[in-house]
Amino acid sequence: MTLVKEAPPRPAKKRPAAPAAGRGGRRRENLAGYLFMSPWIAGFLLLTAGPMIASLYYAFTSYNLFTPPQWVGLDNFTTMFQDPRWQKSVEVTLKYVVVATPLKLLLALGVALLLAQKRRGQGLYRAAFYMPSLIGASVSVGFVWRALFSDDAIVDRTQKIFGLDVGGWIGNPDYVIYALVALSIWQFGAPMVIFLAGLKQVPQELYEAAEVDGAGPLRRFWNITLPMISPVLFFNVLLESIHAFQVFGSAYVVSDTRCGPADATLVYTCYLYQKGFKEAQMGFASAMAWTLVIAVALVTAVLFWSQKKWVHYEEAAK
Amino acid sequence: MGTSRNVERRTILKVAGASAATLGLGATTACGGDSGSGDGTVTLRYAWWGGEPRTIAIKKTIALFEKKYPKIKIKPEFTDYEAFWEKFQTQASGGNPPDVFQNAVGFLRKYDKRGVLMDLKAQADAGNLSLENFRNGVLANGQVDGKQIGIPVGANTMALVIDLKAFKKAGVEAKFGWTWDEYFDALQTIQDKLKIAGDTGYFSIMYLYDLYLRQNGKAFFTDSDLGFTEDDLTQWWEDGYKRVRSGLVADPKKVEQVKPKSALSAGLAASEFTWDNFSIRYEGEGESDYGLAPIPTTDGKDTGQYLGSLMLSAFSGTKHPKEVAQFIDFMVHDPEVGKIMGYDRGILATTEQYEAFTPTDDNNKGVKAYEEEVAAAGVLGKITPHPSGTDVIEAAFLRLGGEVAQGKTKPADAAKALFSEAKAAFAG
Repeated sequence: MTLVKEAPPRPAKKRPAAPAAGRGGRRRENLAGYLFMSPWIAGFLLLTAGPMIASLYYAFTSYNLFTPPQWVGLDNFTTMFQDPRWQKSVEVTLKYVVVATPLKLLLALGVALLLAQKRRGQGLYRAAFYMPSLIGASVSVGFVWRALFSDDAIVDRTQKIFGLDVGGWIGNPDYVIYALVALSIWQFGAPMVIFLAGLKQVPQELYEAAEVDGAGPLRRFWNITLPMISPVLFFNVLLESIHAFQVFGSAYVVSDTRCGPADATLVYTCYLYQKGFKEAQMGFASAMAWTLVIAVALVTAVLFWSQKKWVHYEEAAK
Repeated sequence: MGTSRNVERRTILKVAGASAATLGLGATTACGGDSGSGDGTVTLRYAWWGGEPRTIAIKKTIALFEKKYPKIKIKPEFTDYEAFWEKFQTQASGGNPPDVFQNAVGFLRKYDKRGVLMDLKAQADAGNLSLENFRNGVLANGQVDGKQIGIPVGANTMALVIDLKAFKKAGVEAKFGWTWDEYFDALQTIQDKLKIAGDTGYFSIMYLYDLYLRQNGKAFFTDSDLGFTEDDLTQWWEDGYKRVRSGLVADPKKVEQVKPKSALSAGLAASEFTWDNFSIRYEGEGESDYGLAPIPTTDGKDTGQYLGSLMLSAFSGTKHPKEVAQFIDFMVHDPEVGKIMGYDRGILATTEQYEAFTPTDDNNKGVKAYEEEVAAAGVLGKITPHPSGTDVIEAAFLRLGGEVAQGKTKPADAAKALFSEAKAAFAG
């Protein structure tokens, strides 16, 4: 399968230069390998694994940062599931994931299909479409978005032309989430580039053969392109939905740090942040974090399970 | 399939890593280095929140202090209000808060309970800090259970900021002792004549509801609980929502969009309740003229007002308690400091500073006239308790009031939610 070739280069397992080096040489090489990895390993243990284990413990405690954590068993989880704001944050996040991810991927695929054809200046187009992915997560773009979707700004005025006078979206609890969705879709460049790479790998002779057999463009897309790029599609669906579950920055900035109005942009991580850092309920916040980890792991598992049905790997077909 | 395995591992690690990072549980708390040096010079960290004018003024006062005390160096840290308390909480939990910092009444018990605040009585007894000459008894604002954990730098009180031009155009006048009915009638006249809302959302401001309750013999807080019932609050928010729908209170959707600018200076409404020393922001933000007006009353007399304070507090674990006390003493008593700071943090708290500063600009003059007027009217009462959790409840009150205004939550449900969130906040 072609994708395997694109896997990020791993530290290649080099064979000993000369067989004479024997076991001692290999051990020395291993040691050197671990030494080179040690900054990463130390970072992983201290900054990722350690805090994660600590937070797993805190999830079962009441912890306000000042007094030592007190074991409360599953209290945080039971409180959490009954907490109307937690339920709201789940609702907001699911809405965001379910609306933003498919739309973003559709747009990414559509534009990738257009850009896959050879034409003049395609490098420029690709760069231009990729650009928002680079800057989209920045705070300044969040401010721009706030301005774009306010009263009498460009979006409001354009809507009015079509007789859809709902006012600015930013202050409206029913619409503001779609401003965030739009910000996410606007950053379709990253999945687009991956789609492009996938499209390039589709053997040209399949299309030629299909054309000879009289298949039209739609048919070719449906029966050749889509199955051939399904591993890439799978990768993008997985990555984008996981990203979407973790959205924070855009909600925080677009809502002027309050994740409002009326909790309309209270995405999961924003509520977690408020609980942890504004209200100092670190136990509750840790429980929330672990619930998110488990939820995302479940979604990932379901996607992996489902790929048997729709993802086409070439070597499996052989 | 090698790829997908790889993806799985990477993404899961990423998710897990990000969640752990979000929690910041690995928050490393470096000790900030040694603040003393060989030649006897000590360095103190001094932190505050506020706008740019405050920062410029404070930096000038620091320069004055360093000139008088060459052996003490001050390292300033400043940010806006929300970020300040987030940062402070993290620093304090790691045992590394600033040596001296700006504080407010609502945070005293919270950080006293957590052992962060120094009782400055001992330093006062040692002669490093004078507790004399505080005006109007505001020194008591910094006392909790017999400990002096805050030294007031100013005194402020809630006020009604009005758009002077709008009030004049509509021909309405704000009078001392006017009632809530008279106030809302005035807003109605403004709405009828000028087609703008009268108020920006009074019912979401905890400190205003506190005044209303005080007018009725209650208060927002008792020593350890809320001082009103769910029904009281439901009524308050039902009235508020009614006034949003009738247009008397500005459309919350529009108020939301002009943030961080105030809806009053954005011209969405003709009045807004806030602390009197905040009134300077309106002149800078808005195009009209703004003035301070009396708080409406229930009985035609009592406004429920009291003097609050911003203050300076010290970290209980500071390595240089004496220098910290000397610094606070200088900042609250030195006349030059008073001249530089003006009424930015409220009317200057000590007689030395109060007498040294003569307001020349309209804003400072207005604040002075307002507090004199309030004092003369004899409506200033004693401050009521602010238990640990006040800050969290204030934020919840603002948020839930906003949900009511947007029509997204029923007043009764919002009141219920406030009570349940308050319970958690008191326990925290």
